[in-house]
Amino acid sequence: MNTTRTRYGTGYRFLTIGIAGWMTVVIVAGLVLSIPRLNILEESARNLYFHVPMWFALMAGMIVSAVYSARYLMKPTLERDVRAEQAALVAMLFGVLGLITGMVWARFTWYVGTGKWWNFDPKQSMTAVQLMVFAAYFVLRSSIDEPRKRGRIAAVYNLFAVAIAPFLLYVLPRQLESLHPGGEGSPAFSQTDLAPEMRMVFYPAVIGFIALFWWIYTQRVRLRLAEERLADG
Amino acid sequence: MDWLHGAWAVFQKDLRLELRTRYAINALLLFVVSSLLLVAFAIGTGQVGERVASALLWVVIVFAGAVGLGRAFVAEEERGTVLLLQLHLRPSMVYAGKLLFNVLLVGAMNAIAAVGFVLVLGLEVEAVGLLAATLALGALGLAGAMTLLSAIIARAASGGPLLPVLAFPLLIPLLLTVVRVTQRALLLGASAGPWDASAGDLVTLGAYAGVVITASVLLFDYVWND
Repeated sequence: MNTTRTRYGTGYRFLTIGIAGWMTVVIVAGLVLSIPRLNILEESARNLYFHVPMWFALMAGMIVSAVYSARYLMKPTLERDVRAEQAALVAMLFGVLGLITGMVWARFTWYVGTGKWWNFDPKQSMTAVQLMVFAAYFVLRSSIDEPRKRGRIAAVYNLFAVAIAPFLLYVLPRQLESLHPGGEGSPAFSQTDLAPEMRMVFYPAVIGFIALFWWIYTQRVRLRLAEERLADG
Repeated sequence: MDWLHGAWAVFQKDLRLELRTRYAINALLLFVVSSLLLVAFAIGTGQVGERVASALLWVVIVFAGAVGLGRAFVAEEERGTVLLLQLHLRPSMVYAGKLLFNVLLVGAMNAIAAVGFVLVLGLEVEAVGLLAATLALGALGLAGAMTLLSAIIARAASGGPLLPVLAFPLLIPLLLTVVRVTQRALLLGASAGPWDASAGDLVTLGAYAGVVITASVLLFDYVWND
């Protein structure tokens, strides 16, 4: 077995303190700074600072996972497999959070007055399916015992799913009627949608959530590799 | 051995074995027929809308595919013929042969299922050509996805029940699109021509099949070789 030691230096420690500070500022600014008032949307527009960056974190996780799956197929090492697995796991976490924040947001804006939490909006449904793909990836992993075979077969499934993901996340939601921004051909997020003062928080929030993903992901990788070393004795 | 010859040999071998045992053909046919009867009995004599009918048709087809196509590579493992194929053929030849066989199988199954649904549920087909095109493109996409997934399943220890778990989320883009087009092909008196309205969806189906088959060709080597 490969026994790569992943020890992170002082640079990593300073970076994590930086991320924690950055995210604190983003959360406080997101809740406190003034935003334009729009009918129905009202204060719920603040969810933009949290809901949308979570999807950026999910995409980052999917890309990292796919890259390490591809690199594993080129040269199989334990570390690459662990990285692909953990990136998918943390991406799934942000996906679930994004889905929940989206549901709550939809409940009090799109479906206000109807009391519905879920009305099969294409974007919501397709992201739920995307999370099922991640779940299937973990079921597949758990069904193979031999580590090398598990890494290879799981990497193939992951890359196969990534090839189909654009249909779920981009093609179908744009063909179907949807209340979500980005339905029927328009981009999910256009230059004119966002008030200038909200950009001051939104862009840092996107950077912050991607950095938060990276922090959790690197810690998970370190933990898994330590567990593997212990198991090897 | 050149590429086409090798792929064709795998296809012929599968076809001949299938005609001897008729396992997959019988399983698919019986699955389609029995679920068709189940649907017919459950619905009773009432009229079914084209929306429900097209959804039922494709749910039956996708489930039949998950049941019948899973054995393509498991059977090779059981017969112990994997090594022979690995020695004599390049992986892409094996994939192409298996894909061709699965496309044929699913295409035949789709035709039978569609005719059965139209007859048993008493549907009227507005655009026959569009329905046929949908069934053909759907068969291509379904067979393309299932061929690689059945190769993955053959490598996992607990084969069978895993296949639907892996396949269904990936088949949803295909399922949604074919159901929409089938609905238009069945709908009487549609305002715009059904072909014009479905152009975007047919492109989506073609793109899905293209993406799935391309990704499978690239990835199959890693599943096939130990």
